Amino acid sequence: MEGFLQNYGFLLVTLLQQSLLAFSLYFPLMAGQLSLASPGFYALGGYIAAIMSTAPECTPLREKLGTGIYPLEWLAAGLISGVLALVIGISALRLRGIYLALATIAFVEILRVICLNLEITGGAIGIFDIPQLFAERWSYGLIFGPLLLLTLLFVYRLENSRTGRALKAIREDELAAGAMGIHTTYYKVLAFVIGAVLAGIVGAMSAPFLNTWNARQGTFDASISYLAYVLIGGSRSMWGPLLGAVLLASLPELLRPLKDARLIINGMVLVVASIYLPQGIVGALGRLKRCVVKNTSPMGGER
Amino acid sequence: MYTGEYLQNILNGISIGSVYAIFALGYTLVFSILGIINFAHGAVFTLGAYLTYSLAVGHFGIGGLLADMQVPFRLSFPLSLLLGSLLSGVFGVLIERCAFRPLRLRGADPLLALVSSLGVALVTINVIQYLVGSEIYSFPSEVYGDIRPAFTFQRGDTTIVLRTVQLIIFAVNMTVLVLLRYLISCTRVGKALRAVAENSSTASLLGINVDRFILYTFFLSGFLGGMAGGLVGTSFGIAGPYFGVSYGLKGLAVIVLGGLGSIPGAVLGGMVIGLAEAFVPSDYSAYKEAVAFAYLFTMLLICPRGLLGRATIEKV
Amino acid sequence: MKFAAVVTLVVTLFAGAAGAENVSKPIPIGIAVAQTSNVALFGQEQMNGAKVAEKYFNISGINGTPIKLISQDTGGDEAGAINAFQNLVSKEKVVGIVGPTLSQQAFAADPVANRLKVPVIAPSNTAKGIPQIGEFVGRVSAPVAKVAPFAVTQALKLNPAIKRVAILYAQNDAFCSSETTIFQQAVKRQKLEIATLQKFMTTDTDFTTQATAVLRAKADLVIISGLAADGGNLVKQLRQLGYKGTIIGGNGFNTTNVFPVCGKNCEGILVAQAYSPLAQNPLNKAFVDEYRRTFIKDPPQFAAQSFTAIQLIVEGLRKVEIATKKKITQLDLATVRVELNKALRKGSYMTPLGEISLDAEGDINQHSFYVSKIKMDISGKVGVFAIVSVVK
Repeated sequence: MEGFLQNYGFLLVTLLQQSLLAFSLYFPLMAGQLSLASPGFYALGGYIAAIMSTAPECTPLREKLGTGIYPLEWLAAGLISGVLALVIGISALRLRGIYLALATIAFVEILRVICLNLEITGGAIGIFDIPQLFAERWSYGLIFGPLLLLTLLFVYRLENSRTGRALKAIREDELAAGAMGIHTTYYKVLAFVIGAVLAGIVGAMSAPFLNTWNARQGTFDASISYLAYVLIGGSRSMWGPLLGAVLLASLPELLRPLKDARLIINGMVLVVASIYLPQGIVGALGRLKRCVVKNTSPMGGER
Repeated sequence: MYTGEYLQNILNGISIGSVYAIFALGYTLVFSILGIINFAHGAVFTLGAYLTYSLAVGHFGIGGLLADMQVPFRLSFPLSLLLGSLLSGVFGVLIERCAFRPLRLRGADPLLALVSSLGVALVTINVIQYLVGSEIYSFPSEVYGDIRPAFTFQRGDTTIVLRTVQLIIFAVNMTVLVLLRYLISCTRVGKALRAVAENSSTASLLGINVDRFILYTFFLSGFLGGMAGGLVGTSFGIAGPYFGVSYGLKGLAVIVLGGLGSIPGAVLGGMVIGLAEAFVPSDYSAYKEAVAFAYLFTMLLICPRGLLGRATIEKV
Repeated sequence: MKFAAVVTLVVTLFAGAAGAENVSKPIPIGIAVAQTSNVALFGQEQMNGAKVAEKYFNISGINGTPIKLISQDTGGDEAGAINAFQNLVSKEKVVGIVGPTLSQQAFAADPVANRLKVPVIAPSNTAKGIPQIGEFVGRVSAPVAKVAPFAVTQALKLNPAIKRVAILYAQNDAFCSSETTIFQQAVKRQKLEIATLQKFMTTDTDFTTQATAVLRAKADLVIISGLAADGGNLVKQLRQLGYKGTIIGGNGFNTTNVFPVCGKNCEGILVAQAYSPLAQNPLNKAFVDEYRRTFIKDPPQFAAQSFTAIQLIVEGLRKVEIATKKKITQLDLATVRVELNKALRKGSYMTPLGEISLDAEGDINQHSFYVSKIKMDISGKVGVFAIVSVVK
């Protein structure tokens, strides 16, 4: 077991981390809002943690708290991301569909350029030699794992709550939901903020995990990866983001033996999966199950 | 800022702005018909540059599968640019067939088109890398024929310099825009395209073959994207398979600024962003990269319809 | 349930755990550089240099035992680098690793190798703090502090009338932004005036704004810290717009890749070099000949550095055989790794980069640097870096 964790621990923890980031995109999507801002908050959270862990100004704080600094970093990252998300959310969530997606892409890019230029974020090289919470990579599963469990539990409770039903109503038809007296802006902003807080905390946990943090952490490509996790996993079930992230994030590693061609295959998988799994993997599994129960051909056509 | 500097910035801005404009037009044409953003458009830009290079220069470097291969013929630059753009147009059609049409037929979540088009982009970029490596490919200055590299205008203290490339880019782009304008407003095809953009189901009731016009649109979009890539490639060289990525993102800012789906809007948006970038003071040149997105963000907050967009009630 | 299934899948796909075992034959040496992503240009050059090294050193091998290069792609990101390192260490059981391409990736991946006690030689990481990552981390890429100021003095020697300097640098590149500070200090020390300071991105293509700003500032010396594509374009546009003064290019210009970018306009650029294909020493000659035979052009600095990194590991292994009086393949892997790391830091090496050694921390002591002037042939396609002066 020790050897296994040693070899694949990093990859497994990465899968947990990517699943969490998939959820940060899933929350706004529960209310039908396509937000691609997660990498921005992820980068922000990481910077907050990296700065708190390395800046000389924070030395007294670190000495006083010891390892207690880490939870404080998570808290700070979550809080700052949340407040920023609130500000952006209130102004941007008037936008719908692709407009919101574009506004959030702009947010990610602006944040990236700013971080590339500031002194406190270390410019192009970023911040490195971040103090470690654990010695071994796999041990970081001990923080990402529980966070993922908490998130799953939270989503489960949320989906079966009044708020969850409100989000679902907005997703199905925002105008109708508004007409029924649901305060749509409130719920949309709420979902957006929850996603941002999660991404911020994951970022703060990831800074020591990667040992270094720089402006290349939050990019447009990452936004689309998270979107792919959710959609290919299945955007209508809480298991979708988890499954999608685990499969898609491990794919480039599984394809390693293909060397130079691995990213070509990776791209093809994205195309084929979008075409043949329009409801995501979870949707397809659901259909398969229904088919089997009805005792008809499991390969049955799709409308 | 004195007059010369002012004028110089305007000229620089318009030149690069015209590239943004024709590139962004490709996005906007597809959006106007399908209401979807084609994330593979940046890859088409890259492909256009490589195709133009293959036809005009055609000697590959030491990386990739085609290492040290020579294309057995050379075309003149205008011809290579045209042919390269046409082939990019064909590639656009291919993208439609592989990444968009199957989703449309299955009535899938429109968001999935973002993922599938990004998948196509990933494949395209990496196939290019696989074939010709990630070397820098650059056009020798003779491709334009025997003309001087720059023009200087001087009156008293005021000096303005213009690279010939900037003029060529501007002239080609303006020609393309005028032709496109003609195609869309004055021909039957253009009318049909506009009808499909307006409302595809009504258009199909009127006997227009919507599917075919979607293909036309993707062809045009690919053509414009490829041409932008070819032009940028000739003037600045091709810095590897990833060099279209930043244009791909900036193009998004351009179309939003002008108004999603609006053709004159894309042109105006391109010019505005080109000018805005040219006027960034040199002390803040580090933030130039963010200018387009700052505009995009502000525009969305103030007036999401963009400068020339129409009010529509959109449902996701 | 599903998660468990995936875990089992992963396990079956890469089964196997490390125990006490011998080094396999041929001796595996890992190279983890970027073969995909937007830094692949450098990664592929590094790969080429390493391949030449594999061929060259296998003529005699490690006292007869051949070596084998095993490559893993890091991509351009940190996670990719960590995964590639993990793969090389645990699955491929390499004795040492050459890589990764970017300093940022090194900060993420090197600690992993260090904890597993596997020696890493960085071929291109120039950031501050790389050798300090751990005792198993070393590098053959010198920080530029030495050579950059010398390029400035050289420019002044060629043209003493220089007064106003324009400094431009790629701000999204870690190497360029640290190099520029050294250039700026050198300029100030020479009592020259910095007329304008411009930043750009390595992804930029249009530099008219920066070029016109330089012209407006009436600079007579331009110093550019950029990489081949962006730096070359900047030079081309500067010249086309009529800039006539001297141009100094940083270490990013030290590659034949700039020739196609600026063509005829490359003529006369002074380049600060950590490696020159013209350097006079037998090993460099052998390396350059072999590289030309395989790839038809002169080796770039990245290739020379990765060749050197492999050379260090090969010579280190030979020293281990002498010290232990046993063949490498008779020793167990963990011992070889530790012994190799010790051996790497002992003595000096005659490499294509000249005579070098690693200090106790693993940082390179390099003795020869060059300031060269680019000379283009009449066609404007092929050029050479003609050495103007050697810094010892």
